[in-house]
Amino acid sequence: MTGPVAASLARFTYRYPAGRMDALDIAELEVRDGLTLITGSSGSGKSSLLRVFNGLVPHFHGGTIGGSATVFGHDVITTPTRVLATEVGFVFQDPELQSVYPTVERDVAFGLENLGLQPAAMPQRVGEALERTGIAHLRGRAVATLSGGERQRLALAGVLAMRPRVLVLDEPLSQLDEAGARAVVAILGVLARAGTAVVVAEHRLEQLALLDARTLSMDGGRVVAPDIRRVPRVAAVTPQSTGACMPASPVAWQLTGVTAGPGRSPVLENVCLEGRAGEVVALVGPNGGGKTTLLRTIAGLLAPLAGDVHRAPGRVAFLPQNPMALLHRATVAAEVAWTVRGDAATGEAETLIAELGLAHLATRDPRDLSTGERQRAAIAAVLAGRPHIALLDEPTRGMDEAARESLSRAVHRMRAAGCSLVIATHDKNLANALADRTIAVGGGGARELIPVAVA
Amino acid sequence: MNPRALAVWSVAGITIALASANPVYRIIVLLCALNVLVALRRPDVSLRGLTIALTVAALIATVITMLASHTGDHALLVLPAGLPVIGGRVTIEAALFGLSSGLGIAAAVLAAAPLSLVLMPNSLVDALPTALARTGAAIGTALNLIPGIARSAAEIRDAQRMRGWRPRRVREWPDLAVPVVLTALESSITLAEAMEARGYGSGARTHYRDALWHPTDVVVCLVAAAAAVTFVALRFSGVIGDWYPFPDVSVPPINIAGVACCLALAVPALVWRR
Repeated sequence: MTGPVAASLARFTYRYPAGRMDALDIAELEVRDGLTLITGSSGSGKSSLLRVFNGLVPHFHGGTIGGSATVFGHDVITTPTRVLATEVGFVFQDPELQSVYPTVERDVAFGLENLGLQPAAMPQRVGEALERTGIAHLRGRAVATLSGGERQRLALAGVLAMRPRVLVLDEPLSQLDEAGARAVVAILGVLARAGTAVVVAEHRLEQLALLDARTLSMDGGRVVAPDIRRVPRVAAVTPQSTGACMPASPVAWQLTGVTAGPGRSPVLENVCLEGRAGEVVALVGPNGGGKTTLLRTIAGLLAPLAGDVHRAPGRVAFLPQNPMALLHRATVAAEVAWTVRGDAATGEAETLIAELGLAHLATRDPRDLSTGERQRAAIAAVLAGRPHIALLDEPTRGMDEAARESLSRAVHRMRAAGCSLVIATHDKNLANALADRTIAVGGGGARELIPVAVA
Repeated sequence: MNPRALAVWSVAGITIALASANPVYRIIVLLCALNVLVALRRPDVSLRGLTIALTVAALIATVITMLASHTGDHALLVLPAGLPVIGGRVTIEAALFGLSSGLGIAAAVLAAAPLSLVLMPNSLVDALPTALARTGAAIGTALNLIPGIARSAAEIRDAQRMRGWRPRRVREWPDLAVPVVLTALESSITLAEAMEARGYGSGARTHYRDALWHPTDVVVCLVAAAAAVTFVALRFSGVIGDWYPFPDVSVPPINIAGVACCLALAVPALVWRR
């Protein structure tokens, strides 16, 4: 890393308006061209640090700031975000909340319009950005019809069209399937090699670790020594036909010849699957392949277009992809208690809160937590009350390694208690670690994968 | 099609629909607007909801006028005088005038409807003058949030149901309403943050594609404007008579020039193609 300094922080401190302690306390930090990875646990200050680079901290969020921060010579503290936007591109964690206009092409052009670029120059910039992100074929599509992976690439295209010298990405891979993640990582690699300063905060390091990168680790708002961990090997799996079942325990849910999809459009056709008590089934597959449709069908939230769905009597827990759909109580503890209201299982709620590492956050407002902490609060809220079927849609979104381990413990305990769990995930490590069976969902169907030992 | 030309057409349609209470002209405007909508609406748009809403609105206007106006020579029935507002004679004349009012509302709304059902939501916003460009972008963005909020509300309802939420009393609805509102607010804040990060507000905005004027756009614009101006001129010069069914109902007068002005509103369906 010997290129020019893109951004530098010195004796930098920042505290959010309602914060009781500094969210950031950075003695010295320099970002140069090439790829910089920022790792750290949920709530360690990664997102806050990223927002310093384009001035959202402090200009958008307010708060108390100290020390100095510069980006290509601009003083971040005195330069508004909208001016820094000419130098710094920012891709947020949730691509669904970044689209400004309803069509792909138009949305990519939004930043160019703000920069006052002449209309004649825009189509070329838009076309280039769409080509670089591999979504040129989506140019005329409505944003609402895109999958999560496509939306993430759209967000990236919107930023690349502005040709930033610094590109900042907050967990860009968290919602992507393997192919989507690979594509985004490839783009970042090309940009970094071409001299763009690319700063990425991410928990999914398997693919990013393959790139030549400087790695910073954060803890408690401070930058600590580089600490990239060796990525665990992922067991290979090969497709086999469906139908394997565990004969010992009773069937908890069963789909027979099910065709299902939103509206009248089938995403899955003639699917026959079942899950048993005390079993963990992982659903894997590409974005838009039908994992969520399958979960919603098992849950009874989506009526099948054809076929039968059977569920054994008892409570069904469902974790949606967006944890904010659940969280509306004043504290994490109240949120979990709401699920078990009128139930004697409050002791179990406390166990879950502790098991998921939320004990110190129990009195906090769930909406004030980091993404990974919110996700754990949502999981605790749905798993409370001893459900006999638990359906989790992307439960590790935004989670650090410690949080994944706590989720694993909770899943193991629930499985031992006879709960039938179905987990839709892009996280191969999680699927391999937890699942008794893995179902690949995509191409209109579902088929079981049999693990193959790695030599 | 040029959004500004369609906006001129809409203003012309609304003007004609409201310039005279004559139901004949209003029916023609309504049919022309419906024709434009059917021919040019976006593929993702359904007219069912609009049709139902307009029918209900027209019926409500008719019923209210019928019950609240006790003028007219021909009584259909007499409601007890003790009933506040509606007590008294219910007349055929009031019913017909109410129907004409309902037709006026329906025709005016249908004339405005193509602005949202034919154009993409941001097209009209983009067509605003430069001085209003930033305000327009903010409005367009807000419109774009609405479908997301609707999806979010459905997702929250499902999530709460799975946690045993069964709304039986009004006081249980906040369990849905509070997260919907909070999520909408958070989404708005996140979007505002994303807009700021993409340079929104950094200076004078330009438009990705300035809407071009094609010959057909000019034709629509000129024909619609001429029709509205002519109709209003004829109406206020007395050539086109108004219609007022009180005290005795009469056949609405028809003027060929007035009918021609109304029929001219069909021009977008003739010259534009989706």
